[in-house]
Amino acid sequence: MQKKWLHRIVALLAALFLTVPLLAQTQPVQAAANDTSLADIKKKGTLVMGTSPDYPPYEFLVNNKPVGMDIDIAKQIAKDIGVKLVVKQMDFDALLVGIETHKIDMVLSAMTPTPARKQSVDFSNVYYNSGQSIIINKTDKNIYKNYKNFANKKVGAQTGSLQYDLVKKQIKGVKMTGLTKVTDLIIALKTHKIDGIATESAVATAYVKNNPDLMVLNHQFNLSETDSGSAIAFHKGSGTLVAAANKTIAKIKKNNLTEKYLADAGKSLKVNVADTSMWHYRSYFIKGVGYTLLISLIAVLIGVVLGTLLALSRLSHFLPLKWLATAYVEFIRGTPLMIQVMFLYFGLNIPALTAGVAGVAMNSGAYVAEYIRGGIDSVPKGQVEAARSLGLSYKDTMRYVILPQALKIIWPSLGNEFISLIKESSIVSVIGVTDLIYQLRLVQAATYKGIAPYAVAMVIYFILVFGLTRLLNFAERKMQHA
Amino acid sequence: MPSMMIETKGLKKSFDHTEVIKGIDAQVQQGQVIVIIGPSGGGKSTFLRMLNMLEQPTAGTVTFEGQNITDLPANKLDTVREKMGMVFQSFNLFPNMDVLANVALAPQRVKGSSQKAASEQAMTLLDQVGLADKAHAYPASLSGGQQQRVAIARALAMGPDVMLFDEPTSALDPEMVGEVLKVMQGLAKEGMTMVVVTHEMGFARKVADEVWFMDGGVLAEKGTPEQIFDHPQNERTQSFLAKVLEQ
Ligand SMILES: Nc1ncnc2c1ncn2[C@@H]1O[C@H](COP(=O)(O)OP(=O)(O)OP(=O)(O)O)[C@@H](O)[C@H]1O
Ligand SMILES: [Mg+2]
Repeated sequence: MQKKWLHRIVALLAALFLTVPLLAQTQPVQAAANDTSLADIKKKGTLVMGTSPDYPPYEFLVNNKPVGMDIDIAKQIAKDIGVKLVVKQMDFDALLVGIETHKIDMVLSAMTPTPARKQSVDFSNVYYNSGQSIIINKTDKNIYKNYKNFANKKVGAQTGSLQYDLVKKQIKGVKMTGLTKVTDLIIALKTHKIDGIATESAVATAYVKNNPDLMVLNHQFNLSETDSGSAIAFHKGSGTLVAAANKTIAKIKKNNLTEKYLADAGKSLKVNVADTSMWHYRSYFIKGVGYTLLISLIAVLIGVVLGTLLALSRLSHFLPLKWLATAYVEFIRGTPLMIQVMFLYFGLNIPALTAGVAGVAMNSGAYVAEYIRGGIDSVPKGQVEAARSLGLSYKDTMRYVILPQALKIIWPSLGNEFISLIKESSIVSVIGVTDLIYQLRLVQAATYKGIAPYAVAMVIYFILVFGLTRLLNFAERKMQHA
Repeated sequence: MPSMMIETKGLKKSFDHTEVIKGIDAQVQQGQVIVIIGPSGGGKSTFLRMLNMLEQPTAGTVTFEGQNITDLPANKLDTVREKMGMVFQSFNLFPNMDVLANVALAPQRVKGSSQKAASEQAMTLLDQVGLADKAHAYPASLSGGQQQRVAIARALAMGPDVMLFDEPTSALDPEMVGEVLKVMQGLAKEGMTMVVVTHEMGFARKVADEVWFMDGGVLAEKGTPEQIFDHPQNERTQSFLAKVLEQ
């Protein structure tokens, strides 16, 4: 699995804040000469592994716990070093930045050690090489025998992945469809929007086993040594740690343990697909709804406080404050929420949930500031004059007279902001916060069903948004009567 | 001998390079009731609003109780404004709180009165303007005349030394003008120093100690009600009064 463009953005961001001295203070600088990586892990007593558990049989969740071949390998490495394994879930795109910023010690996520990646991290030896395959509809089995038959046909692959490049280079006149998630590609294949999916053999086998309408063509493409295989990524200059991992990998290979790990993964998968009804996975969705509501609610509350301060600063006659607030509002409104959230998470040493909430709140604050500024502007000028003529200070005038009226005016806008946060907060799933979108991806990966989890999530979002709209309208009417 | 309450010297104000107040020297003595009359756009409101610095003068000074308040910093200005109550044409009650809270807010926040003391005082003042029964009504449910009487009570709650009125009855239906003027008349009788901009000539004649005629940004003429209404000297005063009294 390989995604280039997103990772490049993230890497650029990482480079950006790594060069900011203030932020870089939290990043210990390691010289290759005195590599203490292994000693550090031993001292710490834990080995933190980052992974994106939506990629069976490598890593996936069973009963909300990450399992799979990669987890088994990581456990073995931790055991051999003599420390405890901690598994941290993140979006695939975020994993390497996680290493660069020392949020995690290593990545096992079916990652191919490409030359580009080798520039930013160190890799262990390849621990598994399953080859490349193409998934097709069973009904097409007489048309497609190998990858060359796909000339001038439509083939799908994960965006920016190794397979994407292989298809493009090695199939003549092919029409590519790139999607981020394998589950989405499966939907496209089943609905005949594409004719085949190029993917890793282990992954292809797992999916086909659980989709009787599909079949797999194994051993496809013309593969070179560097084009394939999965390896473990470590922070640059972790020679001793890499050596320790390689020792374990050698042992695993010698004893053919990967076969056993894959067999175990297959068994675990059966647990998941024993009952693939959405109802069976309700706890996933409930957890997602909980986090989505929690993030939106905290974010909107902080957003209102922050927005009020920003609005007052923008209205202030103290010019530096005014400029600062204006710059903040314009900057936040001028950059995507996703990058803000990633920047916070990787730039500062804070947990994902905190970073997610803070990112969404800081973003919301900028928008709320504009609503509040509009609200304050729409309170008649005579109100300030009356208050000031009574001797009330500027602060008291704002607090007791102007802001209560402004808030009442903008109450519907604030309600809408909260509602749109419920939808927009889904961005935090990229840093591994288990909101509804993240959970929906997990259910997709666990059940091999693409559309049903989407439908469930859509209905849940609709119920949340519709219900809250109703509730807010009701509260608004109550307030008007007050 | 009565002491000086407010004095302006060479007071000027320009809006966007247009001078609307062109140098006014005037005095208000303690206990005096001044009524300012004049044609629309003559600068009456602007002048009145400069007395408590709601409008910053372009030139000249305002002295209040011996203190030059023209360039005071914001916090000192608040202390001065406590002593100068102001009543506006459009009432400007706070719609987000009930009548009692409107009156009790400033004493609590500015003077640090306890909530109980402020509420009791507010009730007394509401009683004085005849609105004790409306203490828990919201401003929106009151008539214009009632709102303006609450606004007067609100200004009085700070115990001001002078009250400034800017056309307090102009926004009212005719049948409500009387109740507001009655309250103002009562205040005058109690010896409150007042500066009143109004078109109510009857009130001016009856209550004013001095009438100022303002036109084109200058104080064109001033005198006792008899002097101004019965023997106006200035030509513009004469034509203004002729037009007003015709109606
Ligand atoms: N904030 C402002 N900006 C620009 N011009 C203003 C402003 N306030 C008042 N003016 C102008 O200053 C002049 C005097 O206005 P002012 O309101 O003081 O007159 P007035 O005597 O109170 O009139 P009225 O009887 O209509 O209330 C007018 O020409 C008015 O247009
Ligand atoms: Mg006026």
